[in-house]
Amino acid sequence: MNTLRGLRRTWFGAIANSWANRRSFWSQAAVMILNDLIWVVFWVIFFDRLGEVRGWELRDVLVLQAILATGAGITLGFFNNSRQLGRLIAEGQLDEALALPVPALPYLLVRRIEPINIGDVAFGVAVFAVMGEPTPLRTLAFVAAVAISAITLGAFLVLAGSTAFLGGRSDGSELGFHSVVLFASYPVDVFGGAMKILLFTMIPAGFITAIPTRFVRDLEIELAMAAAGVAILLVALAALAFRAGLRRYTSGALWTAA
Amino acid sequence: MSATAVERPARVPDGMRRELAGRVGRAAWRAGRAELRKNLANPGGLVVSGLFLLVVAGMLAALWSAAAEANGGAVAGYTAAALVWYVTISEITTISQRMQFIDELGDDIGSGRVETALLRPVPMVVLLWAAQVGGALPRLAACCLGGLPLAAVIAGAPPSWPAAALAIPATLLAVTINITGQHVFAAAAFWLRNARATWFVYQKLVFVLGGMLLPLEVLPDWLESIAQWLPFMAMAYVPARLAAGYVEPELLFVQAFWLVALATIAIIVFARGERRLVEAGA
Repeated sequence: MNTLRGLRRTWFGAIANSWANRRSFWSQAAVMILNDLIWVVFWVIFFDRLGEVRGWELRDVLVLQAILATGAGITLGFFNNSRQLGRLIAEGQLDEALALPVPALPYLLVRRIEPINIGDVAFGVAVFAVMGEPTPLRTLAFVAAVAISAITLGAFLVLAGSTAFLGGRSDGSELGFHSVVLFASYPVDVFGGAMKILLFTMIPAGFITAIPTRFVRDLEIELAMAAAGVAILLVALAALAFRAGLRRYTSGALWTAA
Repeated sequence: MSATAVERPARVPDGMRRELAGRVGRAAWRAGRAELRKNLANPGGLVVSGLFLLVVAGMLAALWSAAAEANGGAVAGYTAAALVWYVTISEITTISQRMQFIDELGDDIGSGRVETALLRPVPMVVLLWAAQVGGALPRLAACCLGGLPLAAVIAGAPPSWPAAALAIPATLLAVTINITGQHVFAAAAFWLRNARATWFVYQKLVFVLGGMLLPLEVLPDWLESIAQWLPFMAMAYVPARLAAGYVEPELLFVQAFWLVALATIAIIVFARGERRLVEAGA
C-alpha cells in the first residue's frame, strides 16, 4: 500500500512539474499533433492513389494510426523513462532510484512526463472520433486495443532498455525503440513471410498495432485475448530482465569511481 | 580627417581578403575533419545508422513493392524495382543527417551557450556547416553499406547505370543541401529562442515535399507543382529519382542552384541573428 502511495505521489509530482510551464506544455503538444497530421496526409495521398493494398484500406490504416498515437502517447508521455531506460542504465544514473523504499523499475517509469507525447494521445483520440466510425462497441474495443498497445510497447521498451546492462551502451535500446515504432506505423500485411515472423516475435510491432486494429475492425474477442496474453508475457519478461540486469549495474557517480 | 572619411569602412586590400578567405577555409576544413574523425572513432554509432537505414528502407521497400503489385506493377510510372531504389536512396540521404541539430542549435542560442562560438575569428555558420558536413560523411558511408546491398538483393541492379552514376554526385549534393537548409531553419532560434517546432516542421517538409517517403509524382498535381519549386526536392527526390533510372542530368543544376541559394540565405540570416544577439543579449 505504501509502495503504491509512493509511486502515485511521484507520478503526480511529475505531472505537476510538466504542467507548471503551461505555455511550453501546449506548444509541445501542438507540435506533435502537427507531426502526426503529416502521417495522416501521407496515408491519405497513398490510398487515394492506390485504393487498397493487401486488404488494407485508408479507414483501417487511420484506425491503426489512432491506436498507435494513443497507445504510444500514453507510454511515452506518462511513462517516458520507458524510452530513456537504456540511457539511464548506460550512464549509471539509477543510484537515486535504487536508494528509495519503492521498487526501482516502477519508480523510474512514473518519474518523468513528456508533454510532447501527450499531443499524440489527443491526436489519436481525435482521429478515432472523426474517422474511426465510433459506435459504443467499437469505442470499447478501441479503449481495450489502446491499453494492449500501450502495455506491449512499454514492456518491449523496458526489455530493449535492459540490454544496456549487458554492453553498457544504449544504442540497442534506441534502435529497438525506433524499429518498433516504425514497424508499428505500417500495415503488417505489406511485409513478407520472414519479416512478418520478426514482427510477431523479436520486434512485436504486430501486437502493438496490427492485431489491435483487426480487433477494432472485426470485433473478434480471440484477437484481443491473444494480444493481451502477449502483453502480460512481455511485462513479466521485462520485469525479470530488469531485475537480472541490476546485478550487473555500475553507478556513474564520481565517488564510486574514485 | 573629415567625418565622412571616419564613417566609411576602410576598404580591405585584395591580398588581405584572400588571406582571410584562406583562413576561414582552413578553419572550416579543420572543423569538418575533426567531426569526421570523431564519427569514425564511434563505429557503434555508425553501425546503428546502417542498421536503422536497413530497417527503414526495408520497410518502405516492402510497402512500395506491395503498392506497385496492387496497382498493376507500377505507381506513377515507377516500377517496383525503381521504387525500391528510389526509397533506398531517399532514405540514405535523410538518415545520414542529424536533423535534431536544428533543435540543439536552438537550445544553444536560447540558453546563450552560443556566445563562446561568437568569440572565434571565423563566422560561426561556416564552422557549424563544415562540422555537420564532416560528421555526415561517415554516416553516409555506413548507410550506403547497409542500403545499397539491400536494394540490390530486393530489386536487382539499378534500373539504369548512367542514371545511377549521376545519382552519386546528386546524393553528396543532397546531403550538403540538406545541411545548409538546416542552418537556414536553425537560425530562426535567434528570434524565437527555441527551434524545436522548426525542427519538426523542417523534418516533415523533407519527408513529404522533399520526396523522402514517396516520389513527388505520387502527390496530387497541385502539391507536386509546389514541391517541384521548393528546395526540399533537392534533398531527397533528385538523387532518388536518378537512382530509380531516370537519366535527367539537369537535376544536378537544380541542386547546384539550391545549394548556392540556401548558403547565401544561411550566411545572411546568421549574420543578422548574431548581430541581434550581440546587441540584445541572449
